[in-house]
Amino acid sequence: MSGVNRKEKKFAKLMRNQPSNITFSSSSDPGAGRSGMGSSESQTDSPHYSCFTHHQGVNGGHVQQQQVGSSHQPSCYGDRQRGSHRGGFRGQRGSSRGNYRSYVQEIPKIITATNFAQARAAEINAMLKAVAHKSSSQFLQSLPPAMRRRAMSHNIKRLPRRLREIAKKEVEKIAQLKKEQSKSKSRKARRRHGNLLMEFNRRQRKNIWLETHIWHAKRFHMVKKWGYCLGNKPTTKSYRACYRAMSKQCLLQDLSYSCCLELSGTEDNLLKTLGRLSSRDAGTTFASVACLSGKRQGSLVLYKADQYPTKPLGPVTFLWRPKTPSENRQLWIWAHPALKMDLLTELQLVCQCLDVPVPEPAPSECKTITHVTANQTVPGLKRKLQDNAGEEVIPEKKIIGDGTRDPLQTVTWTSLTSGIVIEDLTMEILRYRLIGPLSHCVMFEALQAAAILKNSEGREESGLRCWWSEYCKRPENMTLHNGQEGVLLLLPGIASPAEIPAGTVLGLTVGDPRLNMPKDRTTAMPDPTQVKDLEKIRELCLNGVGAEFAQSEIWDRNVRNIVTETKLTEQELNQMRSKLLVPGSRLDLGPQESKVPILLVQQPGKMAGQEHTGWGSGWDILIPKGWGMAFWIPLIYRGARAGGLQEGAKHTQYKGLPHFPDDFPDCPAGIQHSMETEKELIGKYKKYPPAKRPNYIHHGTMTPFRCPWQQLVEDWKTQNQDGSFKLAGSDQEQGLRPEMQVSSREYVGVHEKEISSEEKPLKLEEEMEEESESVTTLEPNIGCENLQNPSTGDRCSESGHVSILRSRKLLKQISTWCRPTSSKGQQTRRYVGSAQVQMTADAVKAIICSHPRFLVWVRLSLLKKGSPVTNATICIPSEEDLHLLASEPNCPGPQEPKHRDPFKHQFKASKSQKKRAFSQDPETAAGDLQRKPVASCGKDLIRGLWPDRPQNVMSHCSRLTIGFVTQGDFSLTVGCGEALGFVSLVGLLHMVSSQPAERRGLALVRCPASLQYRFAKIDIEV
Amino acid sequence: MSMAENQALAPASEGALDMDQVEYTLRKRLPRKLPKRKNDIYVNMKTDFKAQLARCQKMLDGGCFSEICIHGLGLAINRAINIALQLQGGSFGALQIAANTSTVELVDDLELDEGEPLTRTRNNSAIHIKVFHTLPK
Repeated sequence: MSGVNRKEKKFAKLMRNQPSNITFSSSSDPGAGRSGMGSSESQTDSPHYSCFTHHQGVNGGHVQQQQVGSSHQPSCYGDRQRGSHRGGFRGQRGSSRGNYRSYVQEIPKIITATNFAQARAAEINAMLKAVAHKSSSQFLQSLPPAMRRRAMSHNIKRLPRRLREIAKKEVEKIAQLKKEQSKSKSRKARRRHGNLLMEFNRRQRKNIWLETHIWHAKRFHMVKKWGYCLGNKPTTKSYRACYRAMSKQCLLQDLSYSCCLELSGTEDNLLKTLGRLSSRDAGTTFASVACLSGKRQGSLVLYKADQYPTKPLGPVTFLWRPKTPSENRQLWIWAHPALKMDLLTELQLVCQCLDVPVPEPAPSECKTITHVTANQTVPGLKRKLQDNAGEEVIPEKKIIGDGTRDPLQTVTWTSLTSGIVIEDLTMEILRYRLIGPLSHCVMFEALQAAAILKNSEGREESGLRCWWSEYCKRPENMTLHNGQEGVLLLLPGIASPAEIPAGTVLGLTVGDPRLNMPKDRTTAMPDPTQVKDLEKIRELCLNGVGAEFAQSEIWDRNVRNIVTETKLTEQELNQMRSKLLVPGSRLDLGPQESKVPILLVQQPGKMAGQEHTGWGSGWDILIPKGWGMAFWIPLIYRGARAGGLQEGAKHTQYKGLPHFPDDFPDCPAGIQHSMETEKELIGKYKKYPPAKRPNYIHHGTMTPFRCPWQQLVEDWKTQNQDGSFKLAGSDQEQGLRPEMQVSSREYVGVHEKEISSEEKPLKLEEEMEEESESVTTLEPNIGCENLQNPSTGDRCSESGHVSILRSRKLLKQISTWCRPTSSKGQQTRRYVGSAQVQMTADAVKAIICSHPRFLVWVRLSLLKKGSPVTNATICIPSEEDLHLLASEPNCPGPQEPKHRDPFKHQFKASKSQKKRAFSQDPETAAGDLQRKPVASCGKDLIRGLWPDRPQNVMSHCSRLTIGFVTQGDFSLTVGCGEALGFVSLVGLLHMVSSQPAERRGLALVRCPASLQYRFAKIDIEV
Repeated sequence: MSMAENQALAPASEGALDMDQVEYTLRKRLPRKLPKRKNDIYVNMKTDFKAQLARCQKMLDGGCFSEICIHGLGLAINRAINIALQLQGGSFGALQIAANTSTVELVDDLELDEGEPLTRTRNNSAIHIKVFHTLPK
């Protein structure tokens, strides 16, 4: 008996999730096979079947058993079932073994024929529906694994004979479908130039391709981001090589995806309107003198109009066109694509621009634009298909610029009140970034200033290319051009771009860079013997390039378009090359050579902080569209190494700058980004079995995939408000608290000695009380200020209510407070002089009161081992930890005790319920109903993740949390683990004020999947 | 490694410019550096002394260069001299040194919250020591 049972169990296991159609093989009726399949599907798909489906499911199971157990019954069950319900019952009674007892329980005494028939009809419908869209490989999947053979789908004879007929039909059907789908085309035909281009153009319509896309796609892992196809990182293993290129040689990056918005209008109007978007408090503004003259590029963080310091939009760089004879000024604002739409709407709002396109200043050029865009549309392509002669139509060849945009979409908005014109120049101007000390040499070798045309030359040329000859006619232009060329010639004498002033702009007109390409890839190296004019180089280093040399014709839209349209194709160039008398010699086109106006913008390297100043400096090259590859390849041939998004992120990380959009948790784009990343990471996490992934609840990490800024800031604020600054906290903390209190009293007392001896006896507790009182009294005011924001933007209260401290004055002040007294920082502090505010309880209090919800950007360098990762927590070391560090400097740091998992039981319960539900254990429908709500509540319970919204983020662990890491890695520049992140301003000040002066700025960092805290030094770099 | 750190410089001209320091941010630019040959070694105060010495020694022993040039700026002058003497001392007379001093002009940027950014220059001393093999007689 037991043997039989075992056998059945084994069989049931084997046939679990198996469609039963193979048991119908003996009958060639396809309907039989189908119905069997359908029933099995319904059996496997719905574990909680209702009363009727339960019958059905049992029937399915029963049929399998019956068939295998007694294969001499080839009757068509489907037909029988369809015919009458009695058939079904007969079948059930026939199943005597195994489940017999349960069936006996199940069989109802009375059955209403109509109900029963209705239910059956519904089931049959469902089955037929399921059968209707059958996937092509279903007949193969219906075989149990043991019977599958290799290449079964390829060779039908490998199938069991009884299935061949069905399979044959299937295969034929699939083959036919395939034939219909792929209309044809051999590989050769598909790869033919025109067809390939068509395919490329089709693919570009969804995501914009950069002009270097195909080059990148062969060498990079491509990602689709922000509506672009971008190279993420090289496919070769080149993490370190790229770093070396950045710090010692030259790394090239295609930044053409960043969007350019052009604003033009009178200077006063522009400054007046744009002044609302930024604040002088945060550093540079649009009105900064050096930037306004066009001499320098500036960068700043934009805010919504008049909302500083809350509601930022994101970081931008901007460039003024140097003054021209006309009254209007032009301003380019370069922004990240994730930020573009926010920025554009805000600019339109501020400038009161309407969507009405106003007649362009130059109508001819308007025409050319429409001409090009019209050809990009789909009808144009179709025409090309029909018309063979259409091959010669030039613009159809290639999408240049933004291929996703609707050609009718407006890109220009004009304000009727102020006359400001906003224009969207996305993909109109390309931007390449060269990083590293050799970028000078690479640029110098790749670019050559255009030859000046004599008056006699260029006359006979076609009308389009004559912009240069026109330009050459004016002597002042020529002196300008000569001056610019002179600056370019000086560049190789400078060893690193960091030696010249930050953000220097140099305009230039260069010849076609394809003409003087080396045969092989070379490495541009500086040649010390070539350096002359040391005095001029010195002058250049000291003062940078004059404002007049920043002028370039790239600002002129007409010229840009002409240059793009008159570009000689690669093919034409090669044809001309083939006609050269001496093969391989340089092709000299003379006056026919294209002249391209470009802009060179110096990118300052690491500016903030004391260490590694000037690291990662380089040049940006701005090129009119269409010339992408023509400049890219020559740069690569001069020894520049190409990098992708990942290298770009590393570059900003090593510079210690926040990276957009990851590190802007207060910007809409940043919030969006963090939500997306969290979703993605949770998905990834769920893919691992629970034993193979960290249990974050045990590690005391509430949010391992994002940083809960909102809760953190709120926690610190309430902590501060309660006045129980020192005493509150989790239960574990109580042991530590009194000591901290004592210590902090001492240390603040030290400062008070400096100020006045009268205040010395004052206890800190009293101060804290005072502080709390003053906070409460001050609170209404602050509340009023803050209430304005939540009332207007309650929807963003989830995460948008956090602001980042960008006031330079305050940052400088806090920066000096965070340094230990003994280190270099103290020197600068002395150096900075008396204007600096000493850290006193009053000063701290004032800052806390005025900035309760602020985060501060910090850099942490780890003292010993360890490399922090994203979302690691930054904590306040306890008194013991500092003692520990002092007594044994080599200790790794304190450990977090393992946390209990309060959701374990919940999880277990839901799991066991699931199990019960799956098991064949028959229960009444009522029982099912009871279970359901529990199951649904445990639905999004992921084992090892905190299920609810995090509560009490600050004091969840044994050390108080003050912030989180947003970028962290082993830093190759510093040679130790380094992290960048934000801390709560209140928390930071609390930490600093309670630490001894010589150990100020020490914090703990803990990775989300580790219990080990590591010591780190906090640095605020301004 | 290869760059002389200018952070070692004492703020000599502190009193010279009397200005409201809160309004300015001082940023020191990298010192001007001549284009580097392969046998130029710029000494700094950050890298371990032994490592820098070993690097020089390796260069001389490798046979590629008959002479190397050690540059030190500011605080690193001492160290440059030290390295050169150590090299000479360890060579049993096979190496000779020749020192040159110079003055290097350094540039500081003074960033203002408003107005044109200023630059100022100050001077610092530097040393360039040539270490070379004595010619075999």
